Amino acid sequence: MSTLLVWREQIQRFYAGYSTYIRKVLRLILGLLVFGLINANVGYMKAASSMVCTIGLSVVCAFFPLIIMVMAATALLLLHFYTLSLPIALVSGMLFLLMYIFYFRFSPGKAWLVLLTMVAFALKIPLVIPVAVGLLGTPVCVVPAACGTFSYYMIHFVKGSSSTFKAEDAAGLVESLMTFMKQAVANKEMWIMVAAVSICLLLVYGIRTRSMDHAWKVASVVGAILAVVIGAVGNGVLDVHISLSSLISGGVLAIVTGLLLELLFLSVDYSRTEHLEFEDDEYHYYVKAVPKIGVTVPEKSVKHINERQSRAGNSRNGEVSGRARHEGQVNCSERSKSADEILLTRSLNKELGLDRKGGH
Amino acid sequence: MLDKKRIRLMTKMAIYEKNNINEDLKISSYYKKDYSSLNTLITVLWITIGYGIAAALYAVCNLEKILAELTISKLIFLGGVAVGGYLVLLIIYVICAGSFYKARHNKAKQRVKKYYRDLARLEKMETKEKE
Repeated sequence: MSTLLVWREQIQRFYAGYSTYIRKVLRLILGLLVFGLINANVGYMKAASSMVCTIGLSVVCAFFPLIIMVMAATALLLLHFYTLSLPIALVSGMLFLLMYIFYFRFSPGKAWLVLLTMVAFALKIPLVIPVAVGLLGTPVCVVPAACGTFSYYMIHFVKGSSSTFKAEDAAGLVESLMTFMKQAVANKEMWIMVAAVSICLLLVYGIRTRSMDHAWKVASVVGAILAVVIGAVGNGVLDVHISLSSLISGGVLAIVTGLLLELLFLSVDYSRTEHLEFEDDEYHYYVKAVPKIGVTVPEKSVKHINERQSRAGNSRNGEVSGRARHEGQVNCSERSKSADEILLTRSLNKELGLDRKGGH
Repeated sequence: MLDKKRIRLMTKMAIYEKNNINEDLKISSYYKKDYSSLNTLITVLWITIGYGIAAALYAVCNLEKILAELTISKLIFLGGVAVGGYLVLLIIYVICAGSFYKARHNKAKQRVKKYYRDLARLEKMETKEKE
């Protein structure tokens, strides 16, 4: 346990030191996953589904806010759908527009959760999202998570029945529009998973915010189990074909993720919990104080044998003897330059108070 | 000498200037009521468009069912349901949007106020240092 906590401290320090680069790399990875999965599953437009396009889009989106990636992913999807069939692109476009109108106008900052949910579904670990978001987020996150589930199943449906939507005449277009709309919205498996994800997220959030001991652990376990049960019951009642084994393995992974998140964001020692009771003029307080587990990261003392400094030191020594013996033999300009550097460093150290700090 | 307090204050202000200041200044240039009303009105327009799209998609989806045995009374009933649904949705969104935009205006105003207070503090620090 203490080793894990030391790792946590080290990860935090590492993140604090290189957060700018780490964020960019994570965005790049998310971009590669999102655009790669879209192109691999519904890459009907050859030019847009190339590896160059995937990498290019990911690299560009890594330097912009995540909302740009959401917009790029939507545009890419619609482009592929348009190549397959105009009605599908139209209906999908309208469904995305509805998502924007009814929710993302108010909270565009959470649109990235749609992408993450889609990626989790594609990687067969859908329950990780509601558990993680329930632990770290707010109940409002249920909307983007549900939208992500809906988007994934829409892509999944188009992938599975792409050949049926390739109509060329006008009557065929209207027919395929109606069929796609009906089947995309009436997908029972999708509604079961939307219910599982939403209820799991709300339950995890509800338990996590209680003041009971080990609330995060209980929330992760109960949330994941409930989601698996909803999936299994829905499977039986509505006669759909959700793989139970992948559901259970996803649930186990969600629990593991929950435990890891607790270790990273809330490591407290419940055995040393204190219950306090006091009052002021207006309120009576019942306070439960749980101490955090603190670990000190072992400091590694690295002795620097600085080549430049030693060279400077040598040149200083050489300066004394050299001046006496071989004036003109040693390169004077180089020597004076290094002496200037040392003086400048000393004066800066003095000004910034680094000398004093070192002295104490 | 470097003043840690001043550096901290300047960093905090620089972060705010980088992230939120433009939007906050824009929001706080309105009166709260004006900002809230304007954005609620925009929301009403968007909701109308959204409801229209959703209703059209539903109609396309269930075209055969709707057209089967269509009578005037059924048409009036369907129209009534559509208008009723629209009004319910509109009322919910107008109430929510109103309080949402009011809260957003309050927060923006508070942040701008704090920023100006920090600016004054910074100015004082600089004057003190010069003296």
